[in-house]
This record gives sequence, C-alpha cells and structure tokens, in this order.
Amino acid sequence: MNRRIVVVGSGTGGTLTANLLAKELRREIRDGRVSVELLGEGPEHYFQPASLDVAFKGASPVGFSRDEEGLLDGRVKFIQEKATMINLNERVVTTRDGRRLSYDYLVIATGAEANPDGVPGLKDGSLNFHTGPHNAKKIWEAINWFKGGKVVVAIAGTPHKCPPSPNEAAFMLHEFFRKMGIRDRVEIKFLTPYPRAYPAEKVSHVVESLFKRVGIEVSTFFNIESVDPTKKKVYSLEGDEFDYDLLIAVPPHSGAKVIKDSGIGDADGWVPTDKKTMLVNGYDDAFCIGDATNIPVSKSGVVAHLQSNTVALNISSSVKGLNQSFGYNGRINCPMEVGHRKAIFVSATYTTPPSDQVPSFIKYIMKKSFGKMYWTALRGSLEPVFAFYFGPTTTSIIEQHPIYTTSKLKPAIKGEV
Amino acid sequence: MSTPQRKVIDSRGSFCPGPITDLFKAYRASNIGDILELWATDPAAKSDVTAWARKSRNEILEITDENGYIRLVVKIINKR
Repeated sequence: MNRRIVVVGSGTGGTLTANLLAKELRREIRDGRVSVELLGEGPEHYFQPASLDVAFKGASPVGFSRDEEGLLDGRVKFIQEKATMINLNERVVTTRDGRRLSYDYLVIATGAEANPDGVPGLKDGSLNFHTGPHNAKKIWEAINWFKGGKVVVAIAGTPHKCPPSPNEAAFMLHEFFRKMGIRDRVEIKFLTPYPRAYPAEKVSHVVESLFKRVGIEVSTFFNIESVDPTKKKVYSLEGDEFDYDLLIAVPPHSGAKVIKDSGIGDADGWVPTDKKTMLVNGYDDAFCIGDATNIPVSKSGVVAHLQSNTVALNISSSVKGLNQSFGYNGRINCPMEVGHRKAIFVSATYTTPPSDQVPSFIKYIMKKSFGKMYWTALRGSLEPVFAFYFGPTTTSIIEQHPIYTTSKLKPAIKGEV
Repeated sequence: MSTPQRKVIDSRGSFCPGPITDLFKAYRASNIGDILELWATDPAAKSDVTAWARKSRNEILEITDENGYIRLVVKIINKR
C-alpha cells in the first residue's frame, strides 16, 4: 500500500523536510510503498535573511533566489500550486486549481505573512524588509536619498519573523549613515513593544550598550496603534507619539491565508502544535513546523530547519513501523549583526535561556557562512555538520536518547528532551 | 459605552516575551475600565508588567503568588 506524504509550503522547513524524508525513506520510495509530494506556491525559493543586505547594503536580490525544483531530491514530487484548503479530518489538501491531494501524513510548513495593512496608516507611512526583496530594495533607495532627519525603526506587531532583524536594521542604518558621512545629521530611534531593546534580558544588555555607544535611542513599551503618513507621526496604544522623516517598520504578522481559511489556526492563524513532537494538536498524522506554528520560539529558518529533523524522524519512524516518537528541544540560534563586521548569536532551548554574549568577528563570519551554506543545507546533505554544531536538538521522547543525525533512527547518547 | 469586561490571559509555561506579549494582545482588544488578569510562570512577568503599567499609566490592582504561578491583575485606565 502506498503511504502518501504531503508537505504544504516550499520555504526552508517544507523544502528541507521533503528532502530529509526522501533520503530517510529512499528504499520505501524506490519500492513504490511511499511517495513524498511538496506543494509550493512559486517556482523560486528566496533566501529571506538576504533582505537585510538588500535593504541596508544594496545587495542585489538576484543572487539570493534559486529554482525550487533544482533544490529538491529527485524522489520528491514538486507540485507548483497554491494550497487553498486543508481538511485535517478528511485528510485532504485542496489547491487553487481544484486538485485534491489525500494524504497519510501531512506536514504544514506554510510560514507567516507580514501584513502592513494590519495597523492603520502603516502601509502608506512606512517601508519594510519583511515583505520580499522588492520592498527591501525601496529602503535602500530611500536611505540613499536621505540627507538628514529622524529615522525610526519600529516593531509594529509580535510575533514576527527573525526576532533580531529590527535591531540589526538599526545597527546597519547607523553604519550606512556613518559611511555616507551624515551620521551627525541623522537621529535613529528604535521603538519596541518589549520591556527592553531585545526581549531576552542578557541579549538586551549587549544591544542596549551598543545602541548607547552609537547613539541609537530606544523607546520601550511602544505598541504601535497607528501611523499618520501625512503628519509623519507614529502613535502608540500607551499614548506616546514620535515624529519621523523615514519610518522602517516590521509589519504585524499572522499565519498563512490557507490556515485561516481552513479554520485550523488560532485567532491569528498560527497552528496549535505540540512543542516537542510537532504534531498538530489533536491529530496523529498531521505535523506543523516553522513560522506556521503557535509555539513560543523564534520564527526563523534555523528553527524550521531543526523542527524538520524532528518531523522527518517521526514520520519515517511511523512508516517503518518503529513506533519511536521524537521531540524538538526548543533550540533557537538567531544570529544578530551588530555592525562593524561583528555579530552575536541568540541561542536558547525550552529550558535554557539565552546566555551572555560578546560581539565578535568570528560570529559575523559564521553568520555569513550559514548564508552561503543555505542552498546545500536545504538538500539535507549538511545534517552531520549541523548536528555537530547544534548538538542533540531532536530526542527520542520515550527512551530519552538524543539523535544526532537523521540517517540513524537508533539513539546514540543519553540525554533529556 | 460597553460594560467593563474581565479577561483572564493564561500564559503559564511561556517565557519572556510570551506573557507580556499576550498581555499586549489583550490590551489592544480592551476598552477603558476592563480588567486584564495575567497568569504567568515566568518570574520576569512581575517586573515587566509592573514597568509596562507604570509607563502606560494603567493600574495594577493585584500581584499574587498562587500555587506555582503569578497572578497579575491590571485595570485599563489609559489607552489611546
């Protein structure tokens, strides 16, 4: 009997999960007992972290896109169609073209959507680097025309993709204006709804100290209520307001439209998901990974990557009848560029908060290297390298043994989830 | 004018910025006079919510240590 695995969404999580499953289940696929199908909206795959470089360093987006089909294991069937409905009870995914895909296992990797329309005036009054390279490029154009005044970097909703990115934007703006020789004519202000410059306290110590050193002013507990593009003012629910000449804002995010339309998400469209097994709550055949989940960890490519491992293991274990259950340990690892070719890493798990950090050139190089390794990593061929770097991020729940690579279902070293 | 509502926000098990973010979401949907009751296991919630209430000029009615979690009760008296 053919077991049909359908992966919805061709971002980092969806692409990697499909490739890992194809490797893990290669014999079953060869024998016609399993199929892996990836449902993706577009023909191209964009490396989203590049939008920072496009916006603040003038990088060309061209070098950061690849043909999706070329990234996939030959055993994965790529269906380039938009999913419009997911019926978890009937085990069917429907596409815009009317195709109905039934499944035995489902992986939801539909990501997050940034919605500049979510705050009154925000769309007309601000620029952003969270809605694709085309819009990131508008920031590059705007800062090149900028001759001086007030630049405000703001977070207009939480959670959002890539938590360090607004801080990075502020650091990169400082660096850009300094290089242009007009830093003394530019006031940079950072508005955040959080109690500090970065949500995690120990990371915030580093960021606040650096912000102070380079003259970036922070205003905390600023939950954006509206923007007036004519008066060039931004207002908070708490009653504060600031003038701006250029507003760069992270728009509010929500789950994908297909999640909302299918009624399988919470009020914001995030899919309620078990934070260890990555199973959609209440189902034993549907998983959710990456930005699409409601799990309180960073919405980032690294998280989607690590959760892909967990899901690939859980599905392949079930297909092979091994009945082992695996859990993700909440590991995050978000690099933050702090200017002057230095970076820090925000690393944590469900049980270990981020630790003290010292910005370094080595971490900056590591961040840039991860970017270069991205395309190879998506194919699933660098898992031993990542396993060495991250340590045990996926653990056998029953036997409490960590797994280092997806190529072995037998645990190697004892540990805890 | 609508009748003031009381809303319980259960953020137990969630760590910073989870509880304060959940409170912000409720604050966004609230009206003047509403009572927001946040339950949190993250000890940072105490200082974060207190600092937020001071900054936003809202009123903390109660902070109590319950069995394994903190209960923070805020009355919304200021909102744009």
